[in-house]
Amino acid sequence: MSELEGQGLPQARGDDSASLERGYRRLLATYPGWFRRENEREILAVLMACAQDDQTRPSLEAAVDLLKGAVRMRLRPRPGQPRTVYAAVRLMWLGALAELGALFTIMATAVAVRAAVARTYPDGVNSVNVHIVVDEVAAPIVIVLWLWLAWAHSKRKDPARIALVSFLGLITLSMIGSLAQEAATFAPADLIAGAVLWAIALAAVVLIFTPASNRYFRVREPVLV
Amino acid sequence: MQEATFLILTALAAGSQHGYGIISDVSEISGGRVKLLAGTLYTALDRLRADGLIGVDREEVVENRLRRYYRLTPAGEQRLAAEAARLHAHATAALRRLNPNLAGGLA
Repeated sequence: MSELEGQGLPQARGDDSASLERGYRRLLATYPGWFRRENEREILAVLMACAQDDQTRPSLEAAVDLLKGAVRMRLRPRPGQPRTVYAAVRLMWLGALAELGALFTIMATAVAVRAAVARTYPDGVNSVNVHIVVDEVAAPIVIVLWLWLAWAHSKRKDPARIALVSFLGLITLSMIGSLAQEAATFAPADLIAGAVLWAIALAAVVLIFTPASNRYFRVREPVLV
Repeated sequence: MQEATFLILTALAAGSQHGYGIISDVSEISGGRVKLLAGTLYTALDRLRADGLIGVDREEVVENRLRRYYRLTPAGEQRLAAEAARLHAHATAALRRLNPNLAGGLA
């Protein structure tokens, strides 16, 4: 029995350490890829050096600290990323959020818009209903599109810039369409929400086509591993 | 400058150190009061590298683990000196007002 215990002890310690390392790896997986490639092995070495002998999993304090670090790193620009691209990507996240706001605005004002149209054009209510349903279906798709644009630009994908310009063109047409249909009179809140989205998209396009951004997207540097 | 940043730069002022060395040194400098955690340390090191205040001195592999040694850059030395002078001036002013005779002797 004592012989078994004697053999079991080092083995158990190895398991502890492996399970602790797995715990740390899971926490480090929340950091951006470029940061992990650069620092993961080293941070893991420091974490393991700081560990107690019988520790089997990360302490709550260390886990919270690592997760806070991951959030901070994800909010920072990637190495070599110009400020303009960084700002444009932030704007695209904001665009997704603003689109969500626009969806809520459309839902919240639907009754008032219907009533306003019905007072002036009693026959126009059906067409307004169609409009509202189309907007409500389109908004989640547009949110996904904003998120994809943010992701693709942060991953330095040049074709994403064409997609962004096409997207701005679409929103511009939709704004002109809304203005032609007297949205200013019948749906002022929806029109303002649309204008905010249009301004965000325009600002992102301007930022993504500055000379610094152009260089970043066109010149492919060798990826550091 | 945050206290952790100041202490990390101070730890590197005497020579290059690796991550674990910085943690031990910061604990010693602060009299055991500041215990740096890995997440805080490496986000600070990343920021300091991006700002050009520190650089990588060399890398070693010890027992299959990577050790990267960091050192202060000339810009980092300047920043630390300026920050130390600022803190020193504040501390001197505080002591002088609390105890004119004592601080007169110190300053």
